[in-house]
This record gives sequence, C-alpha cells and structure tokens, in this order.
Amino acid sequence: MRASNRANAHIMLSTLLTAASLFLVPALAVFADEAWNVDYHFALLGAPKEETSFFHQPNPSSRASLIYTLSEQHALGAVNPRDGSLVWRQLLSSDGVAYRTSFLRAGEGQDVVISGIGHEVAAWSAADGRLVWTLSTDGPLEDVEILELSDGKETAGAKDAVALSSGANPTVQRIDGASGAVKWQFNIDGSDAPYQLSASSTQIFAILLHKTILGYVKLRVVVLDPVTGHKVDEYSLNSENELSTTENIVSVGANSASPMIAWTDSLYTTLKVNVVGTKSIQSFDIAAHDDSPIEHVKVHAPYHVNSLSHFLVHYQTAASHWADVFHINLKNGKVEKAYSLPKLAGRGAFSTSTSDANVYFTRVTRDEITTVSSASHGVLGRWSLNTFGVAAGIGEQVEPIHAASEVSVKGDTVSAIRTTILLSTGDWVMLRDGKGIWNRPEMLASTMVVTFALPADAATLVQQLEVEAHSNPVAAYIHRVQRHLSDLQRLPSIIVSLPQQIVKGFLGTSADDLTASDTFGFRQIIVCATRGGRLVALDAGSPDKIVWNVNVADLQPGQSREPFLASRIAGVVEVSSRAGAGIQYNATNGQPLAERLPVVPEGPQVPSSQVVLYTMHDGTLEASFNRTPAWAFTPMHGERIIDMVPRPVNDPVASIGKVLGDRRVLYKYLDSNIALLVTAQDSMGTANVYVLSTVSGAIIYSNVHTGVDLTIPIASIMSENWFAYSFTNEASDEASKGHQLVVGELFESLVPDDRGMMGATTNFSGMQTATEPFALTQTYQIPEVISKLAVTRTRQGITSRQLLAVLPDSNGIVGIPYGAVDPRRPVNRDPTKDEQAEGLVRYTAVLEFDPKWFLNHQREIVGVKNVFTSPALIESTSLVFAYGLDIFGTRLSPSFSFDILGKDFNKLQMLATVAALAVATFIVAPLVMRKQVDQRWRFL
Amino acid sequence: MALTLPAPPPRWLEDLSSGPVTTKTKQSFPDPLGYQVASRQQKSSSNKMIAQPRKQPTAEEMDTLKLKKAWELALAPAKQLPMNAIGMYMTGNSLQIFSIMMVFMLFKGPIQAVLNIQNTFQRLETDTNRQQMLAVKAAFVGCNLLALALGIWKVNGMGLLPTTRSDWLAWESAREPLERAYFVPT
Repeated sequence: MRASNRANAHIMLSTLLTAASLFLVPALAVFADEAWNVDYHFALLGAPKEETSFFHQPNPSSRASLIYTLSEQHALGAVNPRDGSLVWRQLLSSDGVAYRTSFLRAGEGQDVVISGIGHEVAAWSAADGRLVWTLSTDGPLEDVEILELSDGKETAGAKDAVALSSGANPTVQRIDGASGAVKWQFNIDGSDAPYQLSASSTQIFAILLHKTILGYVKLRVVVLDPVTGHKVDEYSLNSENELSTTENIVSVGANSASPMIAWTDSLYTTLKVNVVGTKSIQSFDIAAHDDSPIEHVKVHAPYHVNSLSHFLVHYQTAASHWADVFHINLKNGKVEKAYSLPKLAGRGAFSTSTSDANVYFTRVTRDEITTVSSASHGVLGRWSLNTFGVAAGIGEQVEPIHAASEVSVKGDTVSAIRTTILLSTGDWVMLRDGKGIWNRPEMLASTMVVTFALPADAATLVQQLEVEAHSNPVAAYIHRVQRHLSDLQRLPSIIVSLPQQIVKGFLGTSADDLTASDTFGFRQIIVCATRGGRLVALDAGSPDKIVWNVNVADLQPGQSREPFLASRIAGVVEVSSRAGAGIQYNATNGQPLAERLPVVPEGPQVPSSQVVLYTMHDGTLEASFNRTPAWAFTPMHGERIIDMVPRPVNDPVASIGKVLGDRRVLYKYLDSNIALLVTAQDSMGTANVYVLSTVSGAIIYSNVHTGVDLTIPIASIMSENWFAYSFTNEASDEASKGHQLVVGELFESLVPDDRGMMGATTNFSGMQTATEPFALTQTYQIPEVISKLAVTRTRQGITSRQLLAVLPDSNGIVGIPYGAVDPRRPVNRDPTKDEQAEGLVRYTAVLEFDPKWFLNHQREIVGVKNVFTSPALIESTSLVFAYGLDIFGTRLSPSFSFDILGKDFNKLQMLATVAALAVATFIVAPLVMRKQVDQRWRFL
Repeated sequence: MALTLPAPPPRWLEDLSSGPVTTKTKQSFPDPLGYQVASRQQKSSSNKMIAQPRKQPTAEEMDTLKLKKAWELALAPAKQLPMNAIGMYMTGNSLQIFSIMMVFMLFKGPIQAVLNIQNTFQRLETDTNRQQMLAVKAAFVGCNLLALALGIWKVNGMGLLPTTRSDWLAWESAREPLERAYFVPT
C-alpha cells in the first residue's frame, strides 16, 4: 500500500515536473521541438592510428589532458577523456586522397600539436584546434619530429620541429615552432630514399634506405647538427642480407634519450637493435612461445628525452602474445634484456606512459589491464575486465588492437589509470581503472554502403498481413483469428505496462512514442558496411546504441572490398561483394540466416527474359539482353563517365501528371528505365549530360555545359520524371566563377491534357517504340559547391520531394523543396493566377539556401560522402541517413506531418476540454430539464 | 391555512372576454363559427357607409384571377435570381463554410419548390384552368431550374464539378514498361 502510494506520488511528481518543463522550454529555433530530437549526429574521427594517438596537456600549467589523434581518415582531433566528446576537429584531407603516412607530434609542455601529412606541416593550438602556422614542403613528408634540445639555447616558447621530405630533392628542414619559418634546410644527396628522422638531445639523425644490388636494404644514417643544419657524420649500418623490405624495420625510436633502430629478419627469428649514433648492432633471439608463427613485432618506447631509455618489444602470434623489456645503457650504448612479460592468450596491446623519468608499460589483454614499471617486472596495478561493453557478434572475442594510457603513480602503486583502446570491433573505448567510461563508434567513419531494413518482428507482421491479403476470405479469417490468439500470449505483459503507457499517452505525443510498437516505421534498422569488413547496425529510433556489430569479411591489411547491401525481404539484410546472391543476415540481431529465403524482386513482376542488365565496364556502359549484348554507351574520345544515376528501382509515383492551375494536366514522362549520365571532356572543359533509356540505349535528352571546372565534384540525381545536377563553371570573359544547379523535368507532352504519342496505351516496349520526352530545364546559381545530391523518398510518392544537397564547404546538408527549383517557374514575368495557384513563383537566377533548409541546425557535419533515404511506414515522412566521416540521421516531412500529430498538439488541453464539456453537460442537463418542464406548464 | 382570497378568474375566462389583441394577417382558414373580430366589424361598418356591397366574381373572373396569381407565384423564383446571383458572386469561389452554406441553400430551395409544386398550386387550380396551369407549372419549374443552374454555375466556379482532365487523373494509370533494365554494379 505504501509502496503504491509512493509510486503514485512519484507519477504525480513526474507529471508536475513534465508539465512545468513544458512551460520552461524556450524557443531555440524554428523547429525547436524537432532539433536534437528527431535527428542524431556522431561527430567521428575515424579509427585512430597507434603512432598518432596520445594523451597530452593542452595547457602546460594545468594537469587536465585531452586525447589527440590523427586518424586513418586523416581527421585530426582532440577528445575529452571524461565523456568522449569531441573538443575540436580538423579534416586534413578533404578530397579523399589517401596518404600513406601521417604524423602527429606534441612536445612536452607545449600548447600546440604539430601534424604532418602529404606535403604539409601544420601546427594547431592544442586547446581549440586553431591553425597556428602551416608550411608546405616540396616533396611528400616522410617524418616530422619535435626537437627536444637540451643545449640551453632553446627559447622557453615553442619548440622547433624537424621535417624530412622525400621526392626529387630530399631535404631535412628545421621549422621554427612559433612562426613556421624554415630555420635551415639540408639537402640530402644521393639516391637513397629518406625513411625516418630521429633526434636525440644533441643530434638529428636522418635514416635513409639504400638499396643494394642484391635487392636488400641497407640503412644509411646522416647525422646533422641541430643548430646549424650541417652534416656532422654519415655512416651505414651493416644490415645486409637481413633486411629485404622496409616492413621488417620494427622501429626507429624517436625522441627518446637514446634513439635506436630495430629490425628483424623476415621469419622473425632474431631481433637486431642498433642505438643510433653507434655502429654496433646487437642481436637477440626471438624464442618461439607457441606453434603459430609470429605475425608482427612492435617496439614501444617512451617519447621524452628525459625519460629512462627503456623499451618494450611486443611479439604477437595468431593465438598469443608476450613481450620483452630492454634497457639501454647510455654510457656504452649496450642494450640489455631486463625482463619478460609472460605469454597470454589472444591479442595484446601495450602502451607507454611516463611520469618524470619513470617509464610505465600498460598491457591490455582480453580480460585484464596490468601496469608494470620499466625498471622491474613487479605489477603495479591490475584491473580485470569483464567486457569492453561494445556490441559484437555472438561468440566473437573482442580484442584490443592498440592502446594509449595515462597513469598516475603514488608510491609503488598506480592510483589511477586511464586507457583508450581501439578494439577489434572498431570501437574506440575509454577505460578508467578497468571500467568503461565511454565508447566512440569510430568504425562508422569508414562506412561504405548503407541500407535500411525493417526489424524482423515488424517484418513478420508485414508478411502475415500479406498472407492474409492473398488468401481467400475464409482462410484469411482463420489465419487472422489464429494470429490474434497467439497475440493473446503477450496480454499479461501488455497489462503490466498499461498504466505506464496511459500516463505516457496523456503526457507525450504520438510522435515520440517510440518505445512500444513502431506503427510509424521510424525504428528501422540501419545497416552499415564498413571498410574494415564489418556490418554495424543502428536503430533509427534510438540511435545512441549500436544494435549489433558483426564481422563479415576477414580482410588482410591493405585489402579492400566493395560490398553491396540490400534489404529485399523485410527483416533480412543481404551482403554481397559482387552482384548476385550474397549472405543474408537477420536485421534485428545480425545472425546469419541459415536457410535461404526466396528473393522477391522489387517492383512489378517482369518475366526474366525481359530483363536488360547493364553495367559499367572500362569506362563504357554495356547492356545485355538475354545474355546477348544489347547496347553500349561509349563516350567520345577524351570523354569519361563521371557519374551514372539510374532512376531508383522502387520509386513510387502517386500521380502520373501535374495538375495545372486551370485543372488541366501536364503528363509526366514516367519510364522506369531511364538513367542520368554525366560525362566530362577534360581537354575542352565541358560536361555532357545525357538521359538514357536503359532498355534501348537511346539518348532521350542531352545537354552540354562548357567552361566547367572538372576538378570540383559534379553531383547528380534522378527521380520520378526529373533530374538535377550541379557543377562549377570556370571564370571566363562573360561570366565569373560560380556554382550552378540545373533541374530538368521530363513530360510526355508540353500541351496540357495530351498524353503524347502513345496516348492511353497501357504498356509499351522501350525497344520497339522510341519516344522522346519534352524536357524543361532551369539553371540556378547557388552559393556553394554541392558534393552529393539525394532526394527524399516516401512510401507512396504522394508527399512532395526535397532535394538533399551535401555542402562540403559549410559542413551541412540542405533540403531544398522541389517547388523552389521547379523548372516551370515563369521567367521574366510574374506568375499568372493559375500559376500562383500551383505555387509557382517568378524565376530568379540566384537560389539562396534558406537557413531553415539546413537539416543540421548548428551542427557541423564533416566529410559526408553520401546520403541515403528510405520511406517510413507513414506517407509523410522520409528517413535520412548521411554517412562519410560523420554519421547524421534525421526524419523529414517535406509536406509537413499531415498524418501524424506533431509535438505542438496538446493532448492535455484536448482532454481537459473534453472533460470540461462533459462536466458542463452534466451540470446543465438538469437545469435545462427543469426549464423545459416549467415551460410546458406555463400558459401562453 | 388562513382564509384565502377569492381565486382570480381563470385565464381562459380572461382570454375569452378580452379577445386576442393581435390581428392575424394571413387568413388561410375560416374563422370559427360565431367568432367575430372586432376590428373587422368596425372596418366593414365604416366601409358599408362608403362602398357598395361587393359583387361576388363570376367563375371566369375567378379563374382569371387565380391564373394571374399563379403566374405571379411561378415567376417569383426568377425575380430572386439577380439577388441570388449577386450573393453568389460576392461570396467568392473559395471553399468556406459561408459560401458552402449559401450554395447548399441555393440547391435546396429550387429542389424543394419543384417537389412541392402540387401543393403550391393546389389552391389556384380548378377544373377549368387546368390547361393553363400546365404552362404556369412549366414556367415555375423553369424558373427553379434557372436557380439550380445558378447553383451549378457557382459550384463549377468553386471547382467542385469533375469536368476537367485532372478530376479523372486518379483513374488513369502509368504505362507499364514491358522490359525492365537493372544496373549491375561491378
């Protein structure tokens, strides 16, 4: 009784609080009720690289540190270790160029971090990510280091950087840490390939690779004076017959007290170590600990000049890992093995952290974290891990790939440890004293393709309803009764949750009731295939959590794949890497489906003999019909196909014509078999646009644009009976440089009420009848580049469309209503009354992006490569999912939410009104009754 | 409880003695037997002094009079037409509750009138003028049809008549292609 009273009180309190908060919510934006609510955004960096991820204090006077990383997607960023939020981020390569190497260095006690990628060295303010200076080198960068000099000549301010670049003139440059000016430059002579830089406190070493006649690699070291940049010494290491490739060079120790070079032979039987500056090479045998061969050997050494010169060598086999710790005697340059860390199963990750001169190694395995001092093998701290707290495939062992740690040591024990670990699932997690604090789904930054799938339970309902629709009435009725009887089993749980649902129903609105059944189709499963060969599923209704994450392809490093994803059957996701049958997965839990379900083709049933298949092959489009070549589209000489967008296979259109203001009809040219093709002719700077009939290969529309800047992406889209593309034209005598958006619409006839040549025939063969549409096009000047176009899709195509344009320069996505770019907007005159009734406004050449069109609100959506749209179950809404580096998703209602009550609908007010009316009726009813009786007894 | 006052005379007695104050303007039914309206008595007595007693009209005269009256009735809807037309014009072609109600009344009036045509002309119809009454009724129907036409004109103006191609667009279907082309990514 008391408990229930308390529960009631609790409900009442929460009711009051909710009611109070309703009045307190301020109006932030135009769609304040939808911003941050229906949309979601993961600001990602991409998988962090081991060499470029570390803890660093952005403010030397404060002990608070941030995690810096330069990821495989070339995004440089700082992450707050407390909650995993992004502090700042810079995309160092936006044009999608993949660089082999990238560098990120932070000098001790410095408030800048220095990055090196491609031809560019840049310094960024560590606290807010502002650019301090940037410097371009002639050749591609091979290494960037920060000079930690102890000669006393260094100013107290910014520490200088040294950069090694290769190319035609390999050079070593010393760059002023404050201004980015080159202090000196040393040109390396000879044909040896620059490999890496290493700096001690007194000297700079440039390590070059010299190819011998026999094909082996010899290491050549050039010693430079850090103050003048003159060559002091040069020698070669006697590494002949051992080093066949650079892959066997394990490490070139950077700014440690005594830098060293380590390499192994190709079979990983001996480890050779050379302390840079000496010529002696010491070799250590690598003892085999188990049957499986060693996969890789890694060296972990501290980065600081004043740290102890100890290092750890990590050996990894397929089944286990172990490590040896070595000490370098600074006096005689001798390397000694100090102790070993025992073999443990699975993969391990080691990280190095320093505290004053002491060096600590942290070892992360599947089930525990241990920290040891470099001096002795005694364990200073041990934390057991039950789970990393990330979604993974059933039976899959989550392994650490690499880690970075920050330890604080009190006496002989580690009092606190923070470790960021990149896991084999692609998640980047933070553990504090062995407990998970946050996890960033960085694998989503390498999403390649995406599909939407209905959850399996919703899909079974859809299938059952289809069964009922297709059987005879009696059987359907029996089926339905049986289905309802089986539904009765869920009755107890429904009754239990009923009071809660009623309370929620009173307070909430229909739009946010996502926890129960998904009647609106907002809770679709979004399945992403990542470059790392994993499938990751998100729930569009509650996207904060990864639903499942399974490995679908075991990829070797450097191996790439081009997966395709489809959900042809509701509740089932199909992955294939070539067109054809693939592997199918349950959309709800990611389990591979054992039994093969029959694949139902989308759209109308067509006899298989009537299918034309076309494909892009060697820059030409080739089509085959009945396995015989049907047609080919070969671009002219010097012309290349940039993009080919077929009309979507499942593209429902509600109305086959456009109703004019005077209620006549312009018939749309609706052919499922059309595709938009954009080609470029680089020599002339022209872009050609074709609309092809993909059955016959006929060009039904074409256009040429001259003076096009072909280095800037040309985005194109095709839907229904219209197409759109954007390009940038180069500055010429008559026009300045500008970005243009062209929208074209195809009609059967431009005469109203006329269905064109074919009249009212119900079907047609694209091969036998050649029809040409009548096209209306209009060009709009737009303020910035569009890198990708997409269009909203709804279930029946009744809702008007929005053109979604990705703006890479302002890191946003705009949803342009189709009416704003309608090619039928009247030019050079005001619209007539009929045109006004259609919503057409006078054409203006400049199309400004209305701030209300931006889907991202205040967010910055960086590096979006593609936008995927999917219809929800209700007609008004389309689900949008943008991916690339960042993940962004939202729901759009281009014609406003006409079939669902919005958040502005006040249920409480409605119910109060009904209640008030009911009360008034009860009170007034006897009064009225008495008056009527009185009236009857009164004489006239 | 105590001695009561003598009861007032009943209401019906008062009514009987004073008589109705208002005079009925419409005399569609005969007065009850023995009932005489005071004012009429006075009027007729004053008329008596000036005018000769009225001669009862003959049957032909009666027919002519009734026919005249019938024509008046028949043409009455036509006289309302201009006013209706102005009203319809003023309400505009937008779909609002006011204009919809007016259009509804516009349709309801003529249809009801045509349905009640027998009642309307019953009093004026005799055996002898039946032939002429046919023409009158036809004119009445015609006038009401004119009013209906006005209503239809109005409804058409509001765009409620399915007279254009767009009204039947939903029953037209897209042409089905006999072949389907699919892009096969490589």
